[in-house]
Amino acid sequence: MSSLASCVEVTRRFGTFTAVNRVNLEVGPGEIVGLLGANGAGKTTLIRMLLGLLSTSEGDVTLFGEPPSRQTRRRIGYVPQGLGLYDDLSPAENLEFSEAVFGPGATPLPDELRSYGRELVGSLPLGVQRRIAFAQALSHHPDLLMLDEPTSGVDPLGRARLWETIAEAADGGAGVLVTTHYMEEAHECGRLVVMAAGRVVAEGTAAEIIGGRQVVAVEAASWSAAFNALESAGLQVALAGRGLRVPGADPAEVRRSLGDLPAVVREVPATLEERFFELTEQAAASEAA
Amino acid sequence: MWAMIVKEFRQVRRDRRTLAMMIVLPVLLLVVLGYAASFDVKTITVAASGPQAGSVASILRAPFDVTRTAPDRGPSWARDQLRDGKADVAVVTGGARPHVLIDGSQLFSAKAALAALAEMQQRAPSGPGGTGLHPTVTVLYNPGLKTSNIMIPGLCGVVLVFVGTIITSLGVVRERQTGTLEQLAVMPLKPRDVFLGKIVPYFLVAAVDLAIVLAVGITIFGVPFHGSPATFGLGALLFLFVTLGIGVLISSVSQNQGQAIQLAVMTLLPQVLLSGLIFPLSSIAAGVRWIAYFLPLTYFNQISRGVMLRAEPITALWQPFVFLALLGVIVVTGATLRFRSYLAPAARERRPRKAAVQAQGAGA
Amino acid sequence: MTSEWGAENLYVSYGKIVALDGVSLSAPPGQVTAVVGGDGAGKSTLLRCLAGALAPDSGIVRRPDKHRLGYLPASSGIYPDLTVAENLDFRAVGYGMPARLARERAAEYLERAGLTSAAGRLAGQLSGGMRQKLAVIAAMLHHPELVVLDEPTTGVDPVSRSGLWWLIARAAAEGCAIVMATTYLDEAERCSSVLVLDGGTMIASGTAEDIVAAMPGSLRPAVAKPDGDAARRAWRRAGQWRVWDPGGAKAGQGERQGGDPITPDLQDAVTVAALAWGGAA
Repeated sequence: MSSLASCVEVTRRFGTFTAVNRVNLEVGPGEIVGLLGANGAGKTTLIRMLLGLLSTSEGDVTLFGEPPSRQTRRRIGYVPQGLGLYDDLSPAENLEFSEAVFGPGATPLPDELRSYGRELVGSLPLGVQRRIAFAQALSHHPDLLMLDEPTSGVDPLGRARLWETIAEAADGGAGVLVTTHYMEEAHECGRLVVMAAGRVVAEGTAAEIIGGRQVVAVEAASWSAAFNALESAGLQVALAGRGLRVPGADPAEVRRSLGDLPAVVREVPATLEERFFELTEQAAASEAA
Repeated sequence: MWAMIVKEFRQVRRDRRTLAMMIVLPVLLLVVLGYAASFDVKTITVAASGPQAGSVASILRAPFDVTRTAPDRGPSWARDQLRDGKADVAVVTGGARPHVLIDGSQLFSAKAALAALAEMQQRAPSGPGGTGLHPTVTVLYNPGLKTSNIMIPGLCGVVLVFVGTIITSLGVVRERQTGTLEQLAVMPLKPRDVFLGKIVPYFLVAAVDLAIVLAVGITIFGVPFHGSPATFGLGALLFLFVTLGIGVLISSVSQNQGQAIQLAVMTLLPQVLLSGLIFPLSSIAAGVRWIAYFLPLTYFNQISRGVMLRAEPITALWQPFVFLALLGVIVVTGATLRFRSYLAPAARERRPRKAAVQAQGAGA
Repeated sequence: MTSEWGAENLYVSYGKIVALDGVSLSAPPGQVTAVVGGDGAGKSTLLRCLAGALAPDSGIVRRPDKHRLGYLPASSGIYPDLTVAENLDFRAVGYGMPARLARERAAEYLERAGLTSAAGRLAGQLSGGMRQKLAVIAAMLHHPELVVLDEPTTGVDPVSRSGLWWLIARAAAEGCAIVMATTYLDEAERCSSVLVLDGGTMIASGTAEDIVAAMPGSLRPAVAKPDGDAARRAWRRAGQWRVWDPGGAKAGQGERQGGDPITPDLQDAVTVAALAWGGAA
């Protein structure tokens, strides 16, 4: 598989601080790759290097087989978090501008968006704005799509519709790199890359990354009493509906800390988020070591 | 590149306020300047005292205009007329020679008066029986006819307008932009406290600015300060209150700092041009002059020049003080009302539908 | 006098636009109530009414007086040109907290939020996640009885999000009533009850299980996007298409043509509710 974007042992330092540390990443045609990571994990720096906005300290970044350049930029569709649209222009005018910059041959606005053609982007609801930003990014038929938090703030139905567009692009042969904070969206990606402290700490599908890990779930008659008991025992506790979850502890320990409190203690599969924290904390610990 | 040009045009076309600024403002400026920009003095008001007061009018023709005569009054009355700004020139008759007193703080009237008198001397040289033909002439209150002496008191006002309008308007708009205004509405703060808390620091900044301008003016430029600091201070306080209120009003109708500054500039410019700071009020065409009477700076100029150059007492200055106070009441009321609507929305009455809101005190 | 806070039958309109239509909410103490919906659904309007920053056109709001209420507006309500410590100081004084108590509690909360080292930093220079943590602490500093949080976790990185959740859980454990708006459904699932808004109307409410159980019809998997009318009732999730059948039998209640029905979760139920409300039925 010839990759559209690849990072080989890419490292970037700012003074004594290493933002990205020997990262290997590949995005092939038709793939949807999700980049997960806390703030400061190095995601933004990595993206900027892929876009050619930042040079690497070590390692190689290739786009379509060559180093990033203005030519490769033409083949990328990038939707930043702020959407990159002009609020005080209409969608049609935004598209005209984009077309003039990227060159002719752009597809016009899809039908359902055409009805918004005359209004100012700034006055449209967020979900519609995002769809327009997508349509614009896709209009010059990019081979690689880079999307930064593409569905932040959108309701579930709107998110599903946005993901349909992304999936269509991937089906059409484009490669997609998505950064996201929504764990729900992580499941939309064919492959996940988890970054922490500048390194890649896990890669694979969501199921592979969770890898059968389990977590203790507690259902107690009085959840606040249980919460306090577990807290004072020094355990990390998280809310879960009417119950609690205790990652990083074994059932016996939890049972002990609860003492006589009436509660049901079970082991359940971990969520991607819990596994993500585990990995992030491990990375932070080994960084400090 | 063409794409950028088209895009910018489209964006500019939509931004009404900036368009107004760019197109309307220069036109307005031109019209106003055309009518306002004039240093020509049309009339010089004269007060005459002493036994021959009545005949002064026949001797002093246009541009002189004898508006007051007081045959039974003497030199001190004449001086007071000048000091209280009731006349530009005073003629004291009854001595060996008539004594013409000219108000040097009315720079252009003074120069015009001197020129007119010199011309009269030339046309009819001194000879027997000519009253008023060889008077002694004294220029009071700015004998050197220095421009800096009348500009600097005016600049005191400009400094206060700057701080008042521009900085206050930014201060409140900033809250709106960071969403902290909503937070203030929910905290147990009274709208009055928030309003006062917002403007008090600017009072202090403005006071410092004013002190600096005065110090520089007096020490480096030698501008006199003859009158009562208390009167000046009171006038400055009142004036500042008005300009701060205008600043708050501006911020209450602006969505962001850019708009606030635009509006602030639009209120600053007319004040600089029409308040008598540069062009004397009497020279401004009547069709445009009426605007000046709605501008706070007009009144502060009268107060600052009167007090600094002529030691004008507060009693004579009652008119500008009253008008400033009036403007102050209007502006501050307007500002607090708008403020209150942001900060106490639960107290608002809404039309047609019946609203029932219970805010239950849970006990301290 | 009930100690349960909340709102009943709120109606709010801005000119011709109806922001809230007949929305009711109940916020019991010691529990976290979630308000879910996309941008423009009315979440912020509802929370503003609850906090007292906006007066509804009609309806009843039950909230404590200003001293016993804490609010986090959509745009954080933090002064970017004050430091972290100065921001907390302002809140403490504004709420009339005695100086020593304010100092101690601020130190404790900063410690728990992991912000102690940033206490002297300008709030505008904090990362999004840290700023939101500061905003949440600021809203809870005076130990209010009702805390209203408007999207505290949107756009916040997962690590900070868990820190925020810890603060929220802690406050709830101490008996505070918390209402929070969120666009993340996995967070909504963690709350004891959920209210789903769309276009200003309540399209679902109750516990997460209740909402799922109340989902009308059934969901079927599909290999590809269906044609025609069914396309409006279909969406893609995790690489698989699902079609909502409004009149279908629930999962596990007998067979119909097509694949086995999918067991819906909260995300499915909410999506279906949005479709139903949008008239796709």
